[in-house]
Amino acid sequence: MNLSDSKKKLAAAGVVCGIAAACLAYFGNPANMALCIACFIRDTAGALGMHSAETVQYARPEIVGLVLGAFIISTATGEYRSMAGSSPMTRFVLGVVLAVGSLVFLGCPLRMIIRMSAGDLNAWVALIGFVLGAATGVFALKKGFSLGRAHLANRVSGGMLPAVMLGILILALASTVLRSSESGPGSMHAPILLSLIGGLIFGAFAQKSRMCFAGSVRDVILMKNFDLLTIIGGFFAVMLIFNIASGRFVPAFDTPGIIAHSEHLWSILGMYAVGFAAVLAGGCPLRQLILAGQGSSDSAVTVLGMFAGAAMAHNFGLAASGTSVNAETQEVIAGAVPLNGRVAVIICIIVCFIIAFTNKRSEGR
Amino acid sequence: MRKKERKLVVTFHTTADAMAMEKTCREFRVPGRLIPVPRVISAGCGLAWCAPLDERAQVERVMRENGIEQEALHECMV
Repeated sequence: MNLSDSKKKLAAAGVVCGIAAACLAYFGNPANMALCIACFIRDTAGALGMHSAETVQYARPEIVGLVLGAFIISTATGEYRSMAGSSPMTRFVLGVVLAVGSLVFLGCPLRMIIRMSAGDLNAWVALIGFVLGAATGVFALKKGFSLGRAHLANRVSGGMLPAVMLGILILALASTVLRSSESGPGSMHAPILLSLIGGLIFGAFAQKSRMCFAGSVRDVILMKNFDLLTIIGGFFAVMLIFNIASGRFVPAFDTPGIIAHSEHLWSILGMYAVGFAAVLAGGCPLRQLILAGQGSSDSAVTVLGMFAGAAMAHNFGLAASGTSVNAETQEVIAGAVPLNGRVAVIICIIVCFIIAFTNKRSEGR
Repeated sequence: MRKKERKLVVTFHTTADAMAMEKTCREFRVPGRLIPVPRVISAGCGLAWCAPLDERAQVERVMRENGIEQEALHECMV
């Protein structure tokens, strides 16, 4: 099955992913967060006890499903390739940046698109930062940035992250050792089986279509190629229709209850860091999960970096809070980015610049 | 929209190699352009150099003389 030989098929792949995300939102995932890689990795990190924020702890089967979906489809179609060795520690740090930047904005690029489709104007503001960040990454590529080549590795190496994900799923289903939120976003979720199936389908189609948010911006800037953007277009269209049909489309800034804030500068800078790091790492958070599923140990290390970054975001008070309503007074409490989060984003951007302009093609061969 | 035709497609180990290829080909006026690696070749999301089939010898010479390492050379519809 070739999904990428025409724009129509690419758009159709985006539509399928959109339907999967819409189903997850309809059946219980948090409003406006149908499928967010950063948030769900953060929740899973919480379930594993990597942080102690009690409202965001739940082993999200979607994350497991995305990795296993990509693993299964790539194995079945002969595209599984165990590769490793392209600056793994640098990729770990970029994974941390991806998580911290996303949790300051309150969403990965995937959720940014979902928030945009629900009329959240804060996400449209953040898009500016994401595009500028990706453009900075493209500039670095033009200046010779490289993390070096990956090499074929032992076949089992590429299967390690899928195996770990399967282990997390088994623990979630067959034991009580994982933490699980009783209130807050971590307590809101679709039924486990549906979440897993949604993740598997999304992962398989994302693998076949090469869906990537950073890659789509990179390709447009670098080659005026709109293939990857077409997939995002199909995804956005479905989520827009779903949000309008279900009465969730609210074009506004300060909307309580959707886990978002209106600190525009920090939305822009948070997503700037994410766009920049994603181009340097060769893919957005979603793409890292998919690449890890099809055998890239380098992407698996980036995923581990995202787990560490998500844990740091809550252990060190970096993550932003969403706008909410005081249940007693009905007063709107504006969401905010804490000082620690602001400092962390600045550090993340500096780290990206250092990585971008000190890792050269001539060194990594 | 470009009409699809059979082309020479050079894939690389890194994106930086593809960028170096573009720079070198521009410098030596070798025809071609950067494209995303065609899906039929790879599930990865790197960049490739696409050139007319009859430029194969010139493309190989430019890579050899400028130390650009290819991953593979393909002929496919682009």
